Amino acid sequence: MGNGDDSYSLSRRRLLQMIGSTAGGAAMYQAMSSLGFAAESPYRGPIDLQGAPKGASVLVLGAGMAGMTAAYELRNAGYDVQVLEYNARPGGRTWTLRGGDRYTELGGLTQQCEFDQDLYINPGPWRIPYHHHGMMHYVKRLGIKLEPFFQVNYNAYLHSSKAFGGKPQRFREVKADYQGHVAELLAKATRQHALDASVTKEDQEILLESLRDWGALDKNFAYVASDAVSDRRGYEKNPGGGLSARPVLSKPMTLHDVLGSGLWQGIPSGDAFDMQMALFQPAGGMGTIGEAFGRELGPLIRYNSKVIDIHQDSSGVTVTFTDSLGHESKQSLRADWCLCTIPLSVLAQIPMNVGQKMAAAISAVPYASAVKAGLQFKRRFWEEDEQIFGGITYTDLPIMNIGYPNTGFQSAGKGVLLGAYIWGFSAMEFTSMTPQQRVQKVVEYGSQIHPQYHKEFDNGVAVAWHRSPFSLGCFGTWTSDTRARHYEDLCQIDGRVALAGEHASYLGGWQEGAVTSALDAIGRLHQRAVAQGAKV
Amino acid sequence: MRGLLLLVVAAVSAYADSPMLTSRAALGSLTGEQIYDHICQGCHMQGGQGATGAGAYPKLAGNGKFVSWEFVAQTVLNGRGGMPPFGAPANQEGSSRPHLTDAQISDVVNYVRTHFKNSYKSTVTADQVAALPHPAAELFGPQ
Repeated sequence: MGNGDDSYSLSRRRLLQMIGSTAGGAAMYQAMSSLGFAAESPYRGPIDLQGAPKGASVLVLGAGMAGMTAAYELRNAGYDVQVLEYNARPGGRTWTLRGGDRYTELGGLTQQCEFDQDLYINPGPWRIPYHHHGMMHYVKRLGIKLEPFFQVNYNAYLHSSKAFGGKPQRFREVKADYQGHVAELLAKATRQHALDASVTKEDQEILLESLRDWGALDKNFAYVASDAVSDRRGYEKNPGGGLSARPVLSKPMTLHDVLGSGLWQGIPSGDAFDMQMALFQPAGGMGTIGEAFGRELGPLIRYNSKVIDIHQDSSGVTVTFTDSLGHESKQSLRADWCLCTIPLSVLAQIPMNVGQKMAAAISAVPYASAVKAGLQFKRRFWEEDEQIFGGITYTDLPIMNIGYPNTGFQSAGKGVLLGAYIWGFSAMEFTSMTPQQRVQKVVEYGSQIHPQYHKEFDNGVAVAWHRSPFSLGCFGTWTSDTRARHYEDLCQIDGRVALAGEHASYLGGWQEGAVTSALDAIGRLHQRAVAQGAKV
Repeated sequence: MRGLLLLVVAAVSAYADSPMLTSRAALGSLTGEQIYDHICQGCHMQGGQGATGAGAYPKLAGNGKFVSWEFVAQTVLNGRGGMPPFGAPANQEGSSRPHLTDAQISDVVNYVRTHFKNSYKSTVTADQVAALPHPAAELFGPQ
């Protein structure tokens, strides 16, 4: 485990198993963001590809974020660029489902999205952290309007089916009470001289004041109902104006209840580097970025093209493809260079004459399972009844997350929320269901948190990433071991072929990984092209 | 980081009371057929029919490679290409990564080798699966 203290780990594990988990989704995010995702984006401003050799050509495979970033920059630099894309649309996993859209998953089941106008779900990426500088750059350059994404909403819920009788708790109550009780305990330890050996007398004084401040403790360093505490965790009755103005203070949960509930696991949900606000979402859905890139590249992208062979020789690369709708026979395109952004889950199955090292790397990366469901309701009850405006509720139920729309607040009519965002074995189990069963299950589970589901549910869609025909999974999952053995081999240019995509980055699963890996790869391809000079 | 991974164990174990089968407790009692229906079928489809898009999930029905139980067991244990590994990490007993036990892997291997037009007589035991190489180290967390 790397910490060299197995006895500690085991007892901790048993303890957690005993308590049971809550806020599983938050824990998942935390685990995810610690798997090499937390590296800051290497993006350092617009790429400079001056001096492209006259007539040099690049064939880009895949019109997702990596492929389109590369095609856009290479075209602007004067390269002759063509893009082959399996889907009938640009964007890849940068994708939005809106009313009227049809989606057919592997296995042949088709869903018709029946959302009202302007309502949507992002089956793939749904947020852009402010420090994803590459994404922020292209969003600006493409003229995409951004909206805030509320990673943390103090009025959303942390929910455990096993604590508080299954009643969801407000994030702000759990946070205030956990923080308050911990501050009280630490103040007690300090005043009982338990810290004398490690903290100077003077620092203890400062520590005590900071604990009072941090935990909303009273003059005796106790965490008890008070104005200050209700100002953190909320009031039983909010202060107002006029005759009915007087607030009624709320009563904190006990330390025992807070700890036993396990809900504290959800408190750091906005603390990971990738989850720290500000985060953004494109107005109208993440798919607008893919669509804008697609418009920009226009006829350079050939859609419905399924790559079946990639062959390089000393002077170029020939890519053979069929019409993915099955109507045409084999065709091929040739270019001096090839930037391949096809997900490794697919690429591992395509014949390609690269060296053993790159081939081994391509086959070494399993793809994650994830499921997202979008549910349309007849009204925005989460806003009207529960005052939840955007943000995320975390639960130990298999749906793991409920994401509330971060836009269109208080609008009349129907509303769409993210009813589930599921990982791991649970995602595999949801994947094994039909789309209708998935939606039904998501509604069933979600109604334990929002009983209004029963009455207000209208329609829904559920995307299981392992059934995505164009990616066969959600994203590539590296381990420290496979990274050490294969990552550099994956990223090295092999003859005339370079790979890019989130799988060729330390920002796995993030669009920023796709963008920065594409820029890195075309920068190196450009150097080689320049070194070879103009075509004779 | 590791502490956070441990939370995932708990996250998975928390479904024990739900009708979903993907809790660690419920996982332990799944038969080979149930494992297929609730996990494998996500990709390999009902009846082991497989599926084809930009890439393909192999058809398990009438699959000649299944003559080798080792091949099937190795694939389930360690994954293959984009397919995730399902075996317990060799050096991490009780790892935080959700996984199938050797007994469950033998169950599901026996199930797919005797269904979907496959009728291989030889069955495999948990001990035989245990003797095969397992995933080398702690793999990925939530998946």
